[in-house]
Amino acid sequence: MKNLLDSQRENATVILVESNPLEREKFSHISLSEGWRLIICEDGLEVIQWLNANSNADLLVIEEDSTPISGYQIADYIKSELGLAMPVIISTGEIPIVQERRMLAYAEAILKKPFVESAAILQIRKTLEKSIEVSPQQNDYYSLNYLNELSGGDQQFIQESIELFSATINSELRNLKEVLNRKDYLRIREIAHGIKPSFEMIENETGRGICHLLNSDAKETEMSSLIEELNLEFINIKNQLTKDFPELNFR
Amino acid sequence: MMKKILVIEDNPMVIKSLEFKLKRDGNNVIIANDGREAMKHLKETVFDLILTDLMLPFVTGNELISYIKKNTPDTPIIVLSTSTQENIIMDAFNMGVDDFITKPFSPNELSLRVKRLLG
Repeated sequence: MKNLLDSQRENATVILVESNPLEREKFSHISLSEGWRLIICEDGLEVIQWLNANSNADLLVIEEDSTPISGYQIADYIKSELGLAMPVIISTGEIPIVQERRMLAYAEAILKKPFVESAAILQIRKTLEKSIEVSPQQNDYYSLNYLNELSGGDQQFIQESIELFSATINSELRNLKEVLNRKDYLRIREIAHGIKPSFEMIENETGRGICHLLNSDAKETEMSSLIEELNLEFINIKNQLTKDFPELNFR
Repeated sequence: MMKKILVIEDNPMVIKSLEFKLKRDGNNVIIANDGREAMKHLKETVFDLILTDLMLPFVTGNELISYIKKNTPDTPIIVLSTSTQENIIMDAFNMGVDDFITKPFSPNELSLRVKRLLG
């Protein structure tokens, strides 16, 4: 994981909105030394145009008092309207702590100006790492694209959602086995109908397909093997989640 | 003034997502995990909008829709459905629901449809 983080940091695309030429120059120097690809935009509108044309970047660093749209408004727009999980750092001068809290409701971090090279690198590395932590490498079992889009990359929401996925499906698989023993096939169809959206939300096509079959076309004689297949797929998903998120509690 | 929205749904992940998105859009969200809990809320509170699943434990979605249409006919209803429920959705429309959203919902589509019905 360490190597992956390092390589992703080096190739990171960072967008900067900074009106002070001196600070812009300092940031360019930092980017060059860290190996980031730096995109400089005049204002938030140019950021949106760039994102629309280029799909996504790894980080946006934008001035709090950027005009005509403030750093907060751009952060909110990117997350809620464009549905991008890209982290945003708001750069600002000295501010009271209360105001800092307000800023962090919109952005992942705050960067104090004038930029100090070591502090800026540390803060940006930390933010990029966090973002990579919730964007694990592509795998065959799940994707966080939908949860990212829905929450604008809210890490707490994403982590709670995957814990909830694991706990719910674990419990419903136990229920499926119990009702199968009772040959309550109608209830099997109901449970499968109920949990299908959970597999869809983590974009697991196998789980979604099995639930669909159990809910609609499967014959009663096929249900036992389908439930077993669903159980195996869930074990695979859970193993992958445990590997990607060792700090979380998967039941 | 925050709009009061009742979400009636039994899938915990769908509930969490709806609650997150609707709250982020500035609404006051109340959750009912089954039809019985929903009836309790409906008897105590008047809501600006109701989002309901159709297959619910204890009291079905259709029974809830009938109750809402009888007691607060102006309250808009959005049905939360899955892609295989065409006939059930048609029945719900015939009972007077205003719109439906397929689970898992598109976040922007949810916001737009909710805003449209809240006026």
